[in-house]
Amino acid sequence: MAIDPSMEPMLEMFIYETTTLLDQLDEILLESEKSKNLSSDNINEIFRVMHTIKGSSAMMDLGSISTLAHAVEDVFFIIREDPARLEPVSEALFDLVFQASDFLKAEVESVQNTGETTQDPGAMIAELEKLAAIMRGETVAPKAPAVDTAPAASEAAPGGAPDASDKPGKVRVFFEEGCQMENIRSFMLLTQLHDVCDRLDSEPAHPEKDSSLSAEIVKNGFTVLFWPASATDDVLRVIESSVNIKTYELLEETAAAPAAVATTGAKPTAAATAKAATTEDAAPAVLPGKAKQNLLSVNQVKLDQLLDLVGELVTTESMVIGSPDLRGLSLDNFNKSSRELRKLTDELQDVVMSIRMVPLSGVFQRMNRVVRDMCKKLGKEVDLITEGGDTEVDKTINEIIGDPFLHMIRNSMDHAIEPPEERLALGKPEHGQITISAKNAGGEIMITIADDGRGLDKAGILRKARENGLLTKAEEDYTEKEIYHMIMLPGFSTNQEVTEFSGRGVGMDVVRKNIERVGGTLSIESKQGEGTTFIISIPLTLAILNGMALSVGNSTFTLPITSIRQSFKLGSEQKLIYNTDGSEMILMRGECYPLIRLHEVFHLDTPVTELSEGILIQIESGERIACVFADELVGERQIVVKPFPPFLGKYEIKKSGLSGCSILGDGSISLILDANSLMKANL
Amino acid sequence: MSEFETSTITEQEDDLSGRFLTFYVGDTIYGVELLHVIEIVSVQPATHVPGLPPYFKGIINLRGKVVPVVDIRLKLGLEERAYDDKTCCIIVTMQDMQVGLIVDCVDEAITVNSDQSSAPPMANGKNARKYIASVATIGEKIILNLDCEKFFQDDLHP
Repeated sequence: MAIDPSMEPMLEMFIYETTTLLDQLDEILLESEKSKNLSSDNINEIFRVMHTIKGSSAMMDLGSISTLAHAVEDVFFIIREDPARLEPVSEALFDLVFQASDFLKAEVESVQNTGETTQDPGAMIAELEKLAAIMRGETVAPKAPAVDTAPAASEAAPGGAPDASDKPGKVRVFFEEGCQMENIRSFMLLTQLHDVCDRLDSEPAHPEKDSSLSAEIVKNGFTVLFWPASATDDVLRVIESSVNIKTYELLEETAAAPAAVATTGAKPTAAATAKAATTEDAAPAVLPGKAKQNLLSVNQVKLDQLLDLVGELVTTESMVIGSPDLRGLSLDNFNKSSRELRKLTDELQDVVMSIRMVPLSGVFQRMNRVVRDMCKKLGKEVDLITEGGDTEVDKTINEIIGDPFLHMIRNSMDHAIEPPEERLALGKPEHGQITISAKNAGGEIMITIADDGRGLDKAGILRKARENGLLTKAEEDYTEKEIYHMIMLPGFSTNQEVTEFSGRGVGMDVVRKNIERVGGTLSIESKQGEGTTFIISIPLTLAILNGMALSVGNSTFTLPITSIRQSFKLGSEQKLIYNTDGSEMILMRGECYPLIRLHEVFHLDTPVTELSEGILIQIESGERIACVFADELVGERQIVVKPFPPFLGKYEIKKSGLSGCSILGDGSISLILDANSLMKANL
Repeated sequence: MSEFETSTITEQEDDLSGRFLTFYVGDTIYGVELLHVIEIVSVQPATHVPGLPPYFKGIINLRGKVVPVVDIRLKLGLEERAYDDKTCCIIVTMQDMQVGLIVDCVDEAITVNSDQSSAPPMANGKNARKYIASVATIGEKIILNLDCEKFFQDDLHP
């Protein structure tokens, strides 16, 4: 089914909303399954999620999504009435609902990509119906007292008898002004009411058939005659929860309840009552609809554009302020205004960056799901422990690391963690453990994924590398680290068989590539029999940093201001001394700091090799402090960080002390020094 | 100029196969498939990046994109030669990555028919790299067509 072109503007909203709801659903399900208990709040919440999805997908004319959502909703409708019925089918139900959630996600994705739904939910619906039948069949409880979860309002109007009374209820509904397609909305309302009513009639009848009826509905309202299946309140609640309905009034009653006139939105007092009636339905979780006023969903392309623009702005600003035409002039006013400008652009950057920051918890959440599914499939028992989910990263990073994460978790589940029997035999706890943790470390985010499984098999890796002709030197020359890192070579997979979850030939090399794309690095630590740890470090933002420009010979480098402690010329207070191994150190105020001469470590030609002629910069990263020797300080500047071209990925430039490059105002490229790796590589 | 080149190339994208851009390195004519060629730019000063093999001249700024450049003479193991006004940099793309090739002089874009092209000479022990995809003979000219992926095999695979 293709999307009607007139619906396209709403499609994005639909996709956003549905995805959010499905994520919410997963969260509830996981939580409930863990605690082996479905609270009535959660049942209501799932019901509400499915209900909303059903409604909105029906509006988008996405049949497969709405029918499946309907089936799930049906099942939860039964549970809602009598939670006791859940017991016997609990496990099957969770699996089925997870499947349904996956199916819906896949469908939403395909709608997003192709504008069409692709699969037939028939089988799944049949399963759900079977389940519903079991639940219904086992307990034929009287329906009348079953409305214990119904809101306060229903106590005033006790649930009507299930046998459809001959006298229908009558409701007149008015839609919000200018919401358009009133006839279709009326029809949707009827479809929704269909679930809670035995029979329905409307005035005008069959509103969907003639769009000219819209005008009539706008003028006179849309009148529904209904024979409720249970309580009239159920019907009213459905009406209340429908979108775009401005007011509705109850004209006649089946039961002897007071003829309530509830309006939503028009009169504040009436709105309050309506709200009170729906509070029970509304879950504590954030509802997209509720937060409408404060949250705005923005197309990410626009955000990217904004970031690019800010980057360009910063570059251009440096170009203007550092213009060679101004050299040697004393321009007080200009300098004052340019400082003001700099302040504003700084602020702008901060705001743009903060907009783009999202917590990692979303990605972690998804991993929970993966672990759960794989545990079931593989018959392993694994606990996933997540730490630091509130660590925030740039949206782009968040997206790009999703897949690598998934892959690493799958690998750990599939290859690393042993089956329970084997674990017990090895004296390990029966439950395996995978820990994902994230933390801020300097300008970087460090994410570790650790398992307590087998550990990497060095001999196996070497054998495999030999078979695939990946070895470039004698086997015994490889260090442990080098061997581990071989699993990141293209087409490397140590598992003998290809399984459903991992080992499809695209392996760790893709993971590494993805991480490198955002300027990060991946390293592996492993101990035979004790487990493997993957360490990913990713720069906090992809964007802009304040740096100090240094020149060495013909090259200029930029050192992030955050890693500079001070800069100084070698004077009487500092002394050059030699360590026992001959390495140089600077003695200053009673402390020694190792010396790194940039021209030596990067093999550059420069006339400045005497310490007294150049400049020393004291840098720090974490615990370490060192002094860097350069020709001269060029000045402070703001730069937009770009990763090194992927073509150079093989050469591991980042390990030699450079974190990336940046294009300066004059179009030339400057390399960015990284205090951490510079010290690691040279000390 | 480069803009112009790019646009003409995309227009003809459909029948690019079998078309090559030829260039001189010394007296030898090499060719690269036009499919791989993005544009030709003049040689601009590159920023030296430490820790790379000597044939990498550094990285350049190509309208906001950072692209590494390789001196093809050094990569082929020939003598380095001072750049003159004929020296060009051909930007090629492979596996979604771009790299610049500094060549002595760009010659022309040619179409090689199958009857003009023959298999490369058998690689003996020394030239075991086999980065020549085919040898084309057009009139007087003998063109060695480079297989870009194989040419950069050492750089692409860690």
